[in-house]
Amino acid sequence: MRNNYLAQAWLVILLGLCFGGMLAAVESTLSGRIAQNRLDETVDQIPKLVPGATREASTQDEIDGERVFRAENPAGQLGWVISGGGQGFADRIELLVGVDARVREITGVYVLEQKETPGLGNRITEEGFLSQFAGSPAEKELVVVKTGARAANEIDAITGATISSEAVCRIINQTLKRMRGDLVAALDKE
Amino acid sequence: MTEAATAAGPVDSGPTAGERFINGILPENPIYRQLLGMCPTLAVTGGMQPAMTMTGGVLFVLVCANVIVSLIRGLLKPHLRILVFTLTIATFVTIVDRFLAAYMYQMSKQLGPYVPLIIVNCLIISRCEVCASKQSVRVALADAVGQSIGFGLALASIASVREILGSGTWFGMRVLPAAWPEWVIMVLPPGAFITLGLLMGLVNWYVDRRQPSRR
Amino acid sequence: MAEDTPREAEAQASPEAHINVAPSPHLASTSGACTTRWMMLDVLIALVPLIVAALVVFRLYAVKQLAICVVTCVVAEALFTRWRGRHANLNDLSAVVTGVILALSLPWSAPWYVGLIAGTVAIGLGKIVFGGLGQNLFNPAMVGRAFVLVCFPVALGATAYQSDTSALDAVTAATPLTRAVQDGESASLWSLFLGNVNGSLGETSALACLAGGIFLCLRRTASWEIAAGTILSTAVVALIAQLLGDGVLSMLHHILAGALLFGAFFIATDPVSSPLTPTGKWIFGVGIGLFVMLMRLFSGYPEGVMFAVLLMNATTPLINRWTIPRPVGGPAPVQV
Repeated sequence: MRNNYLAQAWLVILLGLCFGGMLAAVESTLSGRIAQNRLDETVDQIPKLVPGATREASTQDEIDGERVFRAENPAGQLGWVISGGGQGFADRIELLVGVDARVREITGVYVLEQKETPGLGNRITEEGFLSQFAGSPAEKELVVVKTGARAANEIDAITGATISSEAVCRIINQTLKRMRGDLVAALDKE
Repeated sequence: MTEAATAAGPVDSGPTAGERFINGILPENPIYRQLLGMCPTLAVTGGMQPAMTMTGGVLFVLVCANVIVSLIRGLLKPHLRILVFTLTIATFVTIVDRFLAAYMYQMSKQLGPYVPLIIVNCLIISRCEVCASKQSVRVALADAVGQSIGFGLALASIASVREILGSGTWFGMRVLPAAWPEWVIMVLPPGAFITLGLLMGLVNWYVDRRQPSRR
Repeated sequence: MAEDTPREAEAQASPEAHINVAPSPHLASTSGACTTRWMMLDVLIALVPLIVAALVVFRLYAVKQLAICVVTCVVAEALFTRWRGRHANLNDLSAVVTGVILALSLPWSAPWYVGLIAGTVAIGLGKIVFGGLGQNLFNPAMVGRAFVLVCFPVALGATAYQSDTSALDAVTAATPLTRAVQDGESASLWSLFLGNVNGSLGETSALACLAGGIFLCLRRTASWEIAAGTILSTAVVALIAQLLGDGVLSMLHHILAGALLFGAFFIATDPVSSPLTPTGKWIFGVGIGLFVMLMRLFSGYPEGVMFAVLLMNATTPLINRWTIPRPVGGPAPVQV
C-alpha cells in the first residue's frame, strides 16, 4: 500500500521540495531589500516632515510599543515622526505626522496610504491641503472649517470631501493625544 | 509551420507552435474571445503602468509554468495534474511578487493583492491544461508568449481608454489638455466594467463583419 | 430582422392566429389614442409645472440645461438606433421625456459637457444596448445621471449647487438636505413646499411635483401605487427617525426636501422599468422609500433617490415573477 501512495505522489513531493528550495533562495536574497524598501518609505519623508532634520542622522526608536522616528541632524534632535491611522471615507488612512521635539507644533503631515475617492477624497495627498498643517499647534485639537481658516488650529476642508478632510484631522488629533506624553517623557529622560 | 509540426513529433496532434502563437494574439485572445483572466482585467487597468506590469508578471509566470508542465507532461497522473499545475504557478507567482516588492516597491504597493491573485488566474491554468500538458516544450513556449501578448494587448486597450478619459494621461504622461474634465468613473471599478463591455462589443462587431458566416 | 420574415408570413397566412408581440409599455388601445406617444405627451404635460418652477427659480440656467439634455437625448436616440440598423422612431417622444427628466435632475450649475455626456450615456448605455424602448432594465435618465455623478463629483456633488457670486438668490445657499447633513440646519417647510430653495432643477418645488404627479396618476399614466408606496414608506421611516430624535429633519422635511416627490411621481413610475402587477408596484414603491431613507440617514450622500430607483429597477424582474396574479376562478399559475 505504502508503495502505491509513493508511486502516486512522488512527483508532487519532488516538485514541492524543488519549488520550496527555490522560494527559500529567493526569499533569503530579497527579504533584506524588501524590508529596507518598507523602512525607506518612512525614513525618506523625515527631512520633509521635520525641516532641518537629515535622513542619515535620524534614528528609529520604540516608545511604548510603537515605532517612532527621532528626526535629528548632527546637532541634535529636532523633532519626532510618528505614524497613525484611522477610518477615512472609503478605507483606512495611514499618516505620518512630524512634530517638534517638545510636541508643541506640527511640522508636517504625509499620507502613507489611502484609498479615498479619486478626484475628491484623494486630494488629501495634495500639497495644497497638507501644507496647511505645518505650523499648527500640536496641543490644541485641529478643527475642520468650510471656508477660510483663521485660527492656527483651523484647517480648510477640501471642497466636496469634508469627510476625508475631517478623517485626516481626527487621525492627527488622536495620534498626538496618544503619543504626546510618551514622547516628551522620552525626551526628558535623556 | 510544417517544420514546427515535424519537430513536435508524431504524438503531438495539436496545433503547431506558429498556430498557437498567432491564435493567442487575436483569434483566441484570452480576454476578448475566451473571457479568461477577468480579475486583473477589471482590477489593474486604471492606468497603463499597472496594466503593463501585470502583463509582465503574467508573461513570466505563464512561460515558466507552461515550460515546466510541458517538460513533466509524461509523468503527470490525471487526478493529480491540477495540483501540480497550481503548485508550479504558485511558485512563480510568489517569485514575481517578491521581485516586485524588492525592485518596484511603489508598483507592488499599487497592485496590492492582484499579484498573488495571478495564482488563480484561469488563463494560466487553462493554458497548462489545454496546451502544455499535451504538447512539446516548443509549442508550449510559443503558446505562452502568444497568449501573454494577447493578454497584454487586451489590457493595454482597456487601460488606454480608462487612463486617457479618467486621468487625461497615458503611461503617466499628459496627453489631454489640463482643461479636460477627468471622468472619475473611468478609474473606478464601474469604468472597468463599462469599458470592457463596450470594447468587447466592438471586437465582436469586428469579428462578425469579417466572418459573416459565423452568424 | 431576417428572423421575423417567416413569422410574419405565417401570421398573414392565418389571420386569426395573429398575435402582435411587442415590448412594454403594454397598453390596451382600441382607438389608437392610448399609444406610447400619448403616454409620453401626458408625462410632458405633467412636467410643465416643474419646468415652470425651474424657470422661475433658476432662469436661464434651467433653459440651458433643458436644451442641452433634450437635444442630446434626441440626437443620441436617432444615431444609436440607426447604428443598430433599426428604424429610429423619434415620434414616440420617449427620448424627449428622458431628456427633460435628466435635465430636471441635474444641478443648475453643471457645465455643458455634463448634460451632453449624461444624455449620451442615458440613451446609449441605459436604453439602446438593452434593445431600445421597452427593453431597458434601468431608468435611462437615472443611468445617465448616475454616470455623471460618479464621473464629475465636484461638478455634481453637494457643493456644486452653491455659488456666492451668482445673481440668483436661491443658489447662494447649500441645498436643504446638504445643510441638514453638514451644518444641522433645517429649511422652512413653506419654502420647501413652494420651491424657493436650492437644488436640482426639478426638485425644488414640492407643489409643482404634486400638481404634475397627481395629474399623471389621474390619467393613469403613472401608477399611483408606486408613488404612494414610496412616499408612505419614506414617511414611516422618517417618522420613526424623528421620534427617536435622530437628526434635525422632521418627517415633512424628508418628504418635501430633495428629489423624493419628483422621484416618486416621475422617475420611479417609468412603466418600462417598474413592475406590472399592483402588488409588485407596492413592493417596488416601498422598497424605494426604504432605500432613500437608508441612504439619507446612514450614508455620506445627502440624497439617495437616484440610487434607490436604480436598485429597485434591478429587482423588477424578480418582483414581476413573485407577484403573478391569480386568475379569477382559475388555478394558480405555475411559476416557471
